[in-house]
Amino acid sequence: MTQTNRLQQGGRIDRSRTLSFTFNGKTYRGYDGDTLASALLANGIDIVNRSFKYSRPRGIVAAGAEEPNAVVQLGSTEAAQVPNVRATQQGLYEGLAACSTNGWPNVQRDMMSWVGKLGGGFMPPGFYYKTFMAPASMWMTYEKYIRKGAGLGRAPSENDPDIYDHLNQHCDVLVVGAGPAGLAAALCAANSGARVILCDEQEEMGGSLLDSREMLDNAPAGQWVTSTLNLLAGMDNVTLLPRTTANGYHDHNFVTLHERRTEHLSDTAPKLRNHRQVRARLHRVRAGQVVLATGAHERPLVYANNDVPGNLLASAVSNYIRRYAVVPGNKLVLSTSNDHAYRAALDWADAEREVVAIVDARDKPDGDLVQQARAKGIRVITGSAVIEANGTHRVTGARVAKVDLERFAVTGPVEELVCDTIATSGGYSPVVHLASHIGVRPTWREDLLGFVPGDVKGMRPAGGSQGVYALGDVLADGAQSGAEAAKASGIASVVELSLPQAEVRQESPACALYQVPHEKTTLRAPKQFVDQQNDVTAAGIEVATREGFESIEHVKRYTALGFGTDQGKLGNINGMAIAARMLNRSIPEVGTTIFRPNYTPITFGAIVGRHARELFDPERYTAMHQWHVENGAEFEDVGQWKRPWYFPRKVNGKLETMDEAVSRESLAVRNGVGILDASTLGKIDIQGPDAREFLGRVYTNKWAKLAPGRVRYGLMCKEDGMLMDDGTTSCLGDNHFLMTTTTGGAAAVMEWLELWHQTEWPELQVYFTSVTDHWATMTVTGPDARKLLSEVTDIDLDKDRFKFMDWLNGKVADVPARVFRISFTGELAYEINVQANYAMHVWKTLFEHGKKYDLTPYGTETMHVLRAEKGLIIAGQDTDGSVTPEDLGMFWAIGYDKPYSWLGKRALTRPDTARKDRKQFVGLKPTDPAVVLEEGAQIVFDKDQAIPMSMQGHVTSSYYSPTLASGFALAVVKGGLERMGQKVYLPMPDGQTHEAEIVSPVFIDPKGERQHV
Amino acid sequence: MSDTSCASVATFDTCPDVSIPMESPLSVAVNQVSMSTPAPAVSQESQVQFEEKPFLGHLILRGSAMVLGEAVSEVLGVSLPSQPLGLVFDASGQRSVQWLSPDEWLVIVPSGEEFELENRLREVLGAAHFAIVNVSGGQTLIELSGDKARELLMKSVTYDVHPSNFPVGKAVSVAFAKASAILRRPSETRYELVLRRSFADYCYRWLVDAGEDYGLGVTR
Repeated sequence: MTQTNRLQQGGRIDRSRTLSFTFNGKTYRGYDGDTLASALLANGIDIVNRSFKYSRPRGIVAAGAEEPNAVVQLGSTEAAQVPNVRATQQGLYEGLAACSTNGWPNVQRDMMSWVGKLGGGFMPPGFYYKTFMAPASMWMTYEKYIRKGAGLGRAPSENDPDIYDHLNQHCDVLVVGAGPAGLAAALCAANSGARVILCDEQEEMGGSLLDSREMLDNAPAGQWVTSTLNLLAGMDNVTLLPRTTANGYHDHNFVTLHERRTEHLSDTAPKLRNHRQVRARLHRVRAGQVVLATGAHERPLVYANNDVPGNLLASAVSNYIRRYAVVPGNKLVLSTSNDHAYRAALDWADAEREVVAIVDARDKPDGDLVQQARAKGIRVITGSAVIEANGTHRVTGARVAKVDLERFAVTGPVEELVCDTIATSGGYSPVVHLASHIGVRPTWREDLLGFVPGDVKGMRPAGGSQGVYALGDVLADGAQSGAEAAKASGIASVVELSLPQAEVRQESPACALYQVPHEKTTLRAPKQFVDQQNDVTAAGIEVATREGFESIEHVKRYTALGFGTDQGKLGNINGMAIAARMLNRSIPEVGTTIFRPNYTPITFGAIVGRHARELFDPERYTAMHQWHVENGAEFEDVGQWKRPWYFPRKVNGKLETMDEAVSRESLAVRNGVGILDASTLGKIDIQGPDAREFLGRVYTNKWAKLAPGRVRYGLMCKEDGMLMDDGTTSCLGDNHFLMTTTTGGAAAVMEWLELWHQTEWPELQVYFTSVTDHWATMTVTGPDARKLLSEVTDIDLDKDRFKFMDWLNGKVADVPARVFRISFTGELAYEINVQANYAMHVWKTLFEHGKKYDLTPYGTETMHVLRAEKGLIIAGQDTDGSVTPEDLGMFWAIGYDKPYSWLGKRALTRPDTARKDRKQFVGLKPTDPAVVLEEGAQIVFDKDQAIPMSMQGHVTSSYYSPTLASGFALAVVKGGLERMGQKVYLPMPDGQTHEAEIVSPVFIDPKGERQHV
Repeated sequence: MSDTSCASVATFDTCPDVSIPMESPLSVAVNQVSMSTPAPAVSQESQVQFEEKPFLGHLILRGSAMVLGEAVSEVLGVSLPSQPLGLVFDASGQRSVQWLSPDEWLVIVPSGEEFELENRLREVLGAAHFAIVNVSGGQTLIELSGDKARELLMKSVTYDVHPSNFPVGKAVSVAFAKASAILRRPSETRYELVLRRSFADYCYRWLVDAGEDYGLGVTR
């Protein structure tokens, strides 16, 4: 295939580097410096896609981010698939493989096109809503086929092999866009000493100057771009980010930039110096000031069949000719409302191809460019417009007629011009997207016939983005914005910039032209597309307004105007203008829709960054973690902690199931000795003369008389009287306590204490410090615990000298340790705390000595079973924020007569918390011992009641107990404390109904003798 | 070991008087070469070096500067930082005091000095209202150096680590990836991170992953 549309000279491509690529399976060639779009046009590819709804053949329209049709699927392998890539933004590389996102079996002959042809008239806006509404149950079926027929590419079905990351950036001035305004702004701010980030979404920085006909200081504008970029690159305070799109503008000048680092090299990132490279990076920029130098998008005109391949934006024509040396056709008709677009015809003529005519909607255009065109002998037809394009797979001609813009009517005879390309320009729309991301509506400027950004604190538009278009003015505006931004960021003396001299051109004023009138009414004329990506037509908008959708937001949703990846770049203003004309209002009265991030599609990889796979969330490890791993523990996530869940052993060559392991571990604790890594429990060191008083206020029970050396269990309520957390707190000294919290509640309790101290009781002299990570905690528990511990400690373990709920200092395995005699299993238990750096030694020493006792490591599951057998609650499992200490039957832990009030006391005296029929904490014994009730199962009193049954409570914890040889459960039941011995029922989804008896929640050793031995 | 649990505050010497093998939170990750992903070694191409400084003495001091100032100068030979986010070192560079919050300070001293330091401070401070808590087992210090250390930090923390905002002598509590950490700038060429023990492995794996571009090497 030859590059038929490639010029022999000119452009910014490197003809010495030929690159081959495939499109829809066929191989083509382009040059280094091409985009995929310019390479396709060079090869004469007219049709790049089928349209979304009507399956019409579509070609390339634009040269930048605003391209609606050339949205392709990229990737040479399944894993490398990337959907929704704009060919206009994709740099060409050797081996690039792209295909159309829509069209089956191929874009030339599309099976769906009959729908568009036959169904076109029957597919008005709202077609899908109306046609497939009934029966509602069928929608899922319809949807599958509709989505298969439509759609914009697909996600890869294999894992992405690439890596991505985030970079947190801070700067004084962020300049978005490196065209003339952005370059001037960046240079001015940087010269003044500001920290500057300059980003630009294109392969090359320079913006409109890269394809400009204009001269700066009597040299081609591109030379100034090069010298300015060289200057900026040499400055320490400047970060240049090419191929980087500012995709989202968030509150407080937080702007996200999507940098494509390797996507111009290959479809998956090549290795560099044997290291993986980041494929795309999200820069999270906190900018002091933002200069929005995003330029303007040219508006296409809306006329009949304006979507036939060969219809292009005038600026795109210039861009392809001057930047890529590609002329996308042979015979051009230009239809315009302004002077600026004339350069497309001039560039076309310079490329020595035929300009059939320039059709100007104005009666007497006479600016410099107009005169240049006339001087070249180009025919200029005034007061007219292209009203319709001929052709289906490529433009074959243009129908031109005199038009009356006031009356919106064709007023003269139609002239048919033979051509293969129609370039149009309806003026320029400043790119206001980013400024409106944070919710600020853009403002209409009648003099510009366009919206400009609304006021955003700390943001300045510059150049084209606020409707300044003449090159000299753009440079000056950019420099001024850069200076102002630098000043606003706190720089005292701003350096003046000497700007290059631009030519001054006479321009005649543009006229307001959006939809071009046709001989037929809009509804009868061939389709006039407003939004090609979403297949929205002028007729569609007209129908929407007729059906009563008057708000532009409703029109948008009814027609899909500016939806999805397009975000209304080409179509929005035209759509609004049409709605305004139909509703007989002005454009600002109709308003504009909100533009949302992302400006252009961004890969999920860049959003996720490094927060993926094993780094998705922190994993917190205890000091004994490695031992657990080496000993085959299965882990359970508790908050962010990895806790051993159970330790399955190999029995007869087979690994135990969880139930088998838990049974073995439970029996070991009940009959021998087990050990648990309890390091994850929250631990808070509390010091100060008012520590005791403070405890009395945050716990429900009393602390006034807890002596040094003693430990007490405490309940903590929120102000509403509902249990928040529980744990033991030890008195280390009169002014010194060690509080423990649940594993998951540690951070919240710490904050809770600080909150009350700092905001309500600052007069109390007390300090809190987290020591959770400092101490490693191992629980040795079971009838043999004392025997084992006595082998490795100098502490006197005599049962009367070291009693239940005492703590003592001593040495365990030669390491200083604090040992607490508390029990969460109901057995004799010692919780050994050592400085975490020594923990592994102590743990291993215990196992060396524990061999003869068959010391059994157990995990959280066994811990749950053992504590549940004793009726000990787990805050957050047996409670859910609606359970009071009274509901739990823990009247012994509530100090109503404490002298100072405590958190939750007042709430506990409310009538509602004193109700007798509250859900109260009880045990459940299934009638069939083989049944293990489901946690969360609902409890009813009358099993024969018709549905909906009265739900009387639910199961909070349920396990099989090897000790009881039965299933058992903890539950909350309405009025449960008064219902001991009664039968309740648990209807299950499978139709079974279980029967259980309400019993005390303490299933084993109700007198607590075992833990006191 | 001193057992003073009958006093109003119980101090506790966590260090054994015989030699006991210690494990820092990163001992396994950094040293065990047999791991499936061994720590990357320092090479010629390493633009970032990672080194753990394990087993140092870490004390949290609670109390206002008014209360603690003189005692700290007297006992430690270095004044409390005069500014918020300040970090000061003694002449040897071995002992540091860091401002954590208006009444909270982090003191880091050579391994094993922490208990004696606590006792001497308590002696000088007497009956004043303050708290001293030994957290040596609960955190570890790592050092990042090399040309790309700052860029590696930019990948990891949201705080502005540009020298204009983060000069030598500054220390901040930062969000580090999805955890938190204390970030310190002890000198022009080095950064320090104080990591909580339980989060240290996550932060380590994060840094090794994020440092791949820079050939990050781990000093053993």
